[in-house]
Amino acid sequence: MQPLPPRWLDKLATRICAPHLREELLGDLHERYALRHRRAGAPKANFFFLREVAALLRPSIMRRKPAPYGSPSVFSRDMLRNYFKIGSRVLLKNSSYSLIHLTGLSIGLWACMMVATVVIDSLSYDRQWSRKDDIYRIVTKSRMGTDISERSSSSPLGLAPELQKSYPEVESWSTLDAHEQHFKIRPGDGEGVNTNLLTADTSINKILDLKLLAGNFKHSTQSQWSLLVTRSYAAKIFPGQDPIGKIIHDIPTFSSEPTPYQITGLIEDLPYNSHLRAEAIRFRTTKPEALSNTGFMTFARNYILLKPGTDIGAFTRKVNSWYTQFMNNNGREQFEFQPLKDIYLHSDFAEGQNVKASIRTIYIFAGVALLLLFIACVNFVNLSTAKAFARVKEAGVRKVLSGSRTQLVVQLLTETLLLFGFSIVVAIIAYFFTLNSVENFLGNRLILTFTSNIVMAGGALMMFLLTALLTGLYPAWVISGFKPANTLRGIFTASLGQTGLRKTLVVAQFSISIIVLLATIVVWQQFDLMKNKELGYDKRDLIGIEQISWNGKGEAFKNELQRIPGVIRSSLSIWMPTKGGGYMQREVDDPAHAGRRLRVWYIGGDVDLPATLGLKLVKGRMFSNRFADALNADSLREKDFVKFEKAQMNQNSLITASAAKMLGIKQLDVQTKNANSVPVGVVGDFHNESLYEPMKPTLILAQKAPEYAGMLIRIQPGTEMQVAAGIRKLWKQFFPEKLLRINNVEEQLTKQYEAESKLHQLFLFFSGLTMFLSALGIFGLVVQAAEQRAKEVGIRKVLGASVAGIVGLISKDFVKLVVIAIVVASPLAWYALQKWLENYPYRTTIHWWLFAATGIAALVVTIGTVSFQAIRAATADPVRSLRNE
Amino acid sequence: MRRSDLGEFEEIVLLAVAALAPGAYSVSIAEELENETGQTVSTGAVHAALQRLEQKGYLTSYLGEATQERGGRRKRLFTVTTYGGKILHEARSVRNSLWNRIAPAELSKMGLDFSNS
Repeated sequence: MQPLPPRWLDKLATRICAPHLREELLGDLHERYALRHRRAGAPKANFFFLREVAALLRPSIMRRKPAPYGSPSVFSRDMLRNYFKIGSRVLLKNSSYSLIHLTGLSIGLWACMMVATVVIDSLSYDRQWSRKDDIYRIVTKSRMGTDISERSSSSPLGLAPELQKSYPEVESWSTLDAHEQHFKIRPGDGEGVNTNLLTADTSINKILDLKLLAGNFKHSTQSQWSLLVTRSYAAKIFPGQDPIGKIIHDIPTFSSEPTPYQITGLIEDLPYNSHLRAEAIRFRTTKPEALSNTGFMTFARNYILLKPGTDIGAFTRKVNSWYTQFMNNNGREQFEFQPLKDIYLHSDFAEGQNVKASIRTIYIFAGVALLLLFIACVNFVNLSTAKAFARVKEAGVRKVLSGSRTQLVVQLLTETLLLFGFSIVVAIIAYFFTLNSVENFLGNRLILTFTSNIVMAGGALMMFLLTALLTGLYPAWVISGFKPANTLRGIFTASLGQTGLRKTLVVAQFSISIIVLLATIVVWQQFDLMKNKELGYDKRDLIGIEQISWNGKGEAFKNELQRIPGVIRSSLSIWMPTKGGGYMQREVDDPAHAGRRLRVWYIGGDVDLPATLGLKLVKGRMFSNRFADALNADSLREKDFVKFEKAQMNQNSLITASAAKMLGIKQLDVQTKNANSVPVGVVGDFHNESLYEPMKPTLILAQKAPEYAGMLIRIQPGTEMQVAAGIRKLWKQFFPEKLLRINNVEEQLTKQYEAESKLHQLFLFFSGLTMFLSALGIFGLVVQAAEQRAKEVGIRKVLGASVAGIVGLISKDFVKLVVIAIVVASPLAWYALQKWLENYPYRTTIHWWLFAATGIAALVVTIGTVSFQAIRAATADPVRSLRNE
Repeated sequence: MRRSDLGEFEEIVLLAVAALAPGAYSVSIAEELENETGQTVSTGAVHAALQRLEQKGYLTSYLGEATQERGGRRKRLFTVTTYGGKILHEARSVRNSLWNRIAPAELSKMGLDFSNS
């Protein structure tokens, strides 16, 4: 028996040795092994063999001999040109496929770019200030129960100066309240110029980097407002003039006379991508009141600037423990310091902050766009691997003609890159032209876009190339991996084994489409519910005049108003349906849960308010002029606050049914502690706040001709225009100086749910796209399947199969996949939507028929797409498919 | 003369090819060298030297017959070319002339006094 060296060593030696030396060298090794084995036995021979193998590790033995007819380098210029030539020919030849690819990819890339823009733009807010890491907004957290707390973006006005006094960490502070103001530039201006205004302290220039162009940051000595205007605003109101020193007047809403503002400074425009978006800044005239632990406090938005490197956690704890001691109220109010960078995206709680976005919406937005891109890429992979069938022969011939696998992969990748390149061009063009409508949809301008920022454009291009490579690599690998000997003989044993993956991808694709479709319907239902829910008062045919000071002429105006044809009833009201829950809140102990506190809202107006709103009486009586229901609140408050409070305690009030229940009020017409008044009637529940808030106990108090109030006017249906015109005319007579803001209450109410409306539109759009892309993908696959099975179909037809049978045969596979997708997607969608709905106190229910409906919709789309091609395949003449070969 | 062209090991391998002709191939050369020097000589080293010598033109080779120990693989047999012979001769004459020029007194100092034997 011939002694043999250990197998693994032998294999190793074969590996090390260059192929052209194997014959002689391995022969030598074996011969010597045999010699040694005979001389010294197996162990020694093995040991020597090991040494021999180790000694093979030298370049002259390991170096592979280059092939005599070397193929040109994969990246030589000729080859590159060839890749593009062949690639473009292939794409042109399969133009319908290329079109499907192009459409899908363009849509995916476009959506991705758009959303990336929105996300990047949202993240860019307030990043441009040089001290952005040290600026914080003081947020007040009020504890309502053991584990319930409410956050508010304003804090006591005296807090910030107090903090600066006691803590060396605080460098500076300022209030920054944003509001809108109409300015009359010249006496003759009618409507005035609507201006976004910030109210700040003079220390503002230490906190934000404001670039002063002219004037100064100081107060003018007169007792009037000083105004800093931005460059573009100044150009708008005083084109070509020096604005410094000019005086403009506001159009008053609350004061009786226009207030003069002196322009003392001109600054560079404030960045648009900041939540402090404003055209002018005015300086507060009064020093902030000192912080006190008794009585009333004014609240404002306070911003502080800390020394760099301050540990904000430790600082927060220090401030809170001091404040708890100072207020001695068991820490009912605590403060948080919200970093400037978080304010734009994390301010759901901040009422009155107009420039904000919700991080949740951004997540949803980004998620859906990524899914869209995923679907587009899946389409690409699916179609390309399905198409592999047509390319394997070509791949085989290339390989036989000494094309390397790398060359093949590069060839296929070039095709992918070409397609992606075209899609990117299409996507960029679409992006450029849709940017405007997206800005309109969002309601704000986008500062950082791919067409305006070169760095972003470069980054995006890199990302897309990377996506293209990753997407193209798999099909290229599959196609180039076939053995030429098999493909040329027509053996495709493992060649189409990728159908498993393809099926999974189709299921994933349709699952996503179905989830997005379900989301669209549920978001729409929720929006519909909020828009159309009965609020407890009649919101139709109701006109509101926004709050002003009436200069004592409110009653007279109301009397005149009554004469306008179409006006049924009107009421001076210090609560407007979309302007917060009431004019006052009191905290009372919750009778149902010991230790918890309830917030009770107070709504006020003249005695006609309940009737104007159309509230329904449940028990007791409504307000009436026959009783002393209305309090002369304004004059009483001015005279003596304590007396006013006492009078309020004994005032008659109306109470909602749920408030009566929550506060445990059973008896009417007696002074009740929890109501802080004398309830005389119970009215049906109504929503005094938006439907984002659960209904809270609410009381209505009547006041005689309140000075600071808006007006609600009940009109006859269809008379809105006519009444509005009448009001305008009347207004001119009464208040020629004042700003009139009329609005339709129902429209205002709907506007509150703009976020849902937008989300719904967004989903509607995206669900259309995902469905379309999925259908496109499945269309490509069915075309492929029909082509591949042309012979089978032909034979079946010859043997007497019916058209319906063949359509069923081809459609069956796809319908099955979509059914699986429905089964997978439904529970996922249900769970996600249930979670989303939990944010709303009033939510729509997700009915079972929703799933059935979306499932049927998906099936209809699939069958529609598939049968179109399937019927074509089934009606084709079998002679044509069977004739060749 | 180009001494650097012929390393010491190469020279020995070249000599062994000449000595073992016509049956000179890696195994026989390696075995021969092992016998002569008493040290293990790996096939790989010999093969590499043979390859180099062939490249330099001192050797030619042809494929010989296959045997069973070789697992049916053929062996590559080497013969010295005329040019190789000339190089060998040159190397030898350099050595001889140097040897001859060593003075007898020096030889005896090194303990290499051949005159007595």
